[in-house]
Amino acid sequence: MVDFGRVQKELQECNKDINVSGISVNPKFDNLINLIGTIPGPVGTPYEGGTFKIDIDLPEAYPFEPPRMKFATKVWHPNISSQSGAICLDILKDQWSPALTLKTALLSIQALLSAPEPDDPQDAVVAQQYLKDYQTFASTARYWTESFAKTSSLGVEDKVQKLVEMGFPEGLVRSTLEAVGGDENLALEKLCSG
Amino acid sequence: MDLEDCMSSAGEEEEEDYYCSDRDSLDDALENEESDPQWAPPKGSSSKVITKESLLAAQREDMRRVMELLSLREHHARTLLIHYRWDVEKIFAVLVEKGKDRLFTEAGVPILESHNSDSSVSTSTAMCDICMEDLPSNEMTKMDCGHCFCNNCWTEHFIVKINEGQSRRIRCMAHKCFAICDEAIIRDLVDKRHPDLAEKFDRFLLESYIEDNKMVKWCPSIPHCGNAIRVEEDEFCEVECSCGNQFCFSCLCEAHSPCSCVMWELWTKKCRDESETVNWITVHTKPCPKCHKPVEKNGGCNLVSCICGQAFCWLCGGATGRDHTWSNIAGHSCGRYKEDREKKSERAKRDLYRYMHYHNRYKAHTDSFKQESRLKETIRDKVAVLEGRDSQLRDFSWVTNGLYRLFRSRRALSYSYPFAYYMFGGELFNDEMTKEDLEIKQHLFEDQQQQLETNVEKLSKFIEEPFDNYSEDRIMEIRMQVINLSVITDTLCRKMYECIETDLLGSLQFGIHNIAPYHSKGIEKATELPISWAAKSCNAEKRHKLEDTTNGGTSESDRPSGSGSSDEIGFSSLKRARKDDGFGDSMFDLNLPADVIDRN
Repeated sequence: MVDFGRVQKELQECNKDINVSGISVNPKFDNLINLIGTIPGPVGTPYEGGTFKIDIDLPEAYPFEPPRMKFATKVWHPNISSQSGAICLDILKDQWSPALTLKTALLSIQALLSAPEPDDPQDAVVAQQYLKDYQTFASTARYWTESFAKTSSLGVEDKVQKLVEMGFPEGLVRSTLEAVGGDENLALEKLCSG
Repeated sequence: MDLEDCMSSAGEEEEEDYYCSDRDSLDDALENEESDPQWAPPKGSSSKVITKESLLAAQREDMRRVMELLSLREHHARTLLIHYRWDVEKIFAVLVEKGKDRLFTEAGVPILESHNSDSSVSTSTAMCDICMEDLPSNEMTKMDCGHCFCNNCWTEHFIVKINEGQSRRIRCMAHKCFAICDEAIIRDLVDKRHPDLAEKFDRFLLESYIEDNKMVKWCPSIPHCGNAIRVEEDEFCEVECSCGNQFCFSCLCEAHSPCSCVMWELWTKKCRDESETVNWITVHTKPCPKCHKPVEKNGGCNLVSCICGQAFCWLCGGATGRDHTWSNIAGHSCGRYKEDREKKSERAKRDLYRYMHYHNRYKAHTDSFKQESRLKETIRDKVAVLEGRDSQLRDFSWVTNGLYRLFRSRRALSYSYPFAYYMFGGELFNDEMTKEDLEIKQHLFEDQQQQLETNVEKLSKFIEEPFDNYSEDRIMEIRMQVINLSVITDTLCRKMYECIETDLLGSLQFGIHNIAPYHSKGIEKATELPISWAAKSCNAEKRHKLEDTTNGGTSESDRPSGSGSSDEIGFSSLKRARKDDGFGDSMFDLNLPADVIDRN
């Protein structure tokens, strides 16, 4: 049985300092088992400026078993599968401890984006490129960030405008957009589902 | 005369009496044998049978040594031992080499035991970092590493870990804390929610002594006798469990020396596979180009026709028409020489013959061994007849001694063939020695093997003679022959083992081939491990605790009896010993069916 009391507290805790960390966790649907985490690409890396979404599934025994996390946003990184988004990170496997939280896990993933470990790769192709031709790697990663991690080049006001034009009330549009971390597609999905 | 006793004294013959030419020295040899009527385990015999009852006592010994040396508590000693795979010497070595702190941290034993646990109780509530709830301090538990979480979270953590099969190394919940949790706390907490899981946990801990220990292995008997065997120094040996099962300790297969484990594995696989049949088919048949069935050519010219009606050329295997003369097939020519195919079939043919040679001899000796096993009965009858006769001869131990010598030599001889097959086959040792070198060694070995073979056959012949009908002089003559040949075959077996160990396998660079040493007396019987009574006191504290919780517990008579084996006295004393050991009451009996355990 997932400890929902703890999950709820974790969400509150995490979203409290969203302005500082830029990291947020929100329910994907209306349950506390399937969540969506958001991390900003670290500054000074090819991922800078991107917003990366991470699918989080909580196992039955959470927090005594690690949360299952994978990238929902396509990303070019030696330790992340370019196909499936699977993440190779020890704390998501045998080094998990119940004292860790979703936020600390997301922070670790963010750290992984800044410091790849090509010697322990998840995606061999990317790792090879990283080791042999860093320039090409960096530009590919930047290109992927541009293409996939910036779902829209529109500013917040533009997004609000667009959604309001679709017939949703402005207040609801703003709060929804905020809840999903500014992703207009997710916001639309949420608005449509009620 | 008891057959077992005869067998026991068989090996007592001195090697120096290599060949006894006159009757005096023969008698001397016999007297020497008689002076030692009881077969005592040889000095090297240090393997022990560990039964369900003595398992606890077996690990207590090791734990006490570690506890005394490092002044540790029991669960820390166990944690250390599990980490170092129950190798006490290794622990001492690490202690000397790296010091106590490193020794402890590597194994997950906290260095500083927290003594301030009392002070933390005084504060009324605290927050558990796992469930993020504020809870009264009496619902929190602090581990030796100093990390404190609530009992609910600890329990949940332990249950997950036990179910993951990690009972032996459950770490603290704090991130990057590598301390191993106190097993008593684990048991207490888990027992409150899942008593059956706590029992499972106990068993995992107990069985760690067998599972995580390279000197202890489960007896591979089927159905399983429930015993494990512990050896002392050399893991390359052959042992006999108290259940009667004889096996190679190293690979758990049947005893197979002087063949090495690797060779034996290859050999049994080869014998099981049909690879040789396949080889035969490659050499003697060709597939029909139409139906692909293998076709054997049994004479005639090179135009072969399959039962499916397809005609084809035997030389190249290609489909042809049926028109042909004696020397060629109409519209078909395949005269070009194809080296590869020739070579391949030549090689396959040679390999097959080689394998057949060794396998035939291996099989012949194994078969003889089986037939001779039946001799036990007839020999017993013959001896009975002779003993009934009124004659000078009183002692017939030479007959049974000779018979057991025959068994052992036959066994060594049959397993020497798979050994030779791989040793001189040129596949395993290509890189290790030159062809010429190997050839010389092969001759040396084969000479020895030959000699042994000749003498074993002679011994067999004499033992099978119907000497119970012979005159006394004739019997005396046979007796001399049997005793002589027994001594000779024993010596030859020993020499063959020595040759294999030192000249052949010993010269190899990579020591992956090891064989069990030769024992004149046959495969060593492991002795029962005595249950140590001294282990009693070391766990007194826990015992009191357990007695409190079980509140008198079940009385001995309430327990359903175990396997119903052995004599009453021995059995009950084993039981009592376990109970007194302190662990006893909380232990479940591995003899009991699962549902009985569940009910408890």
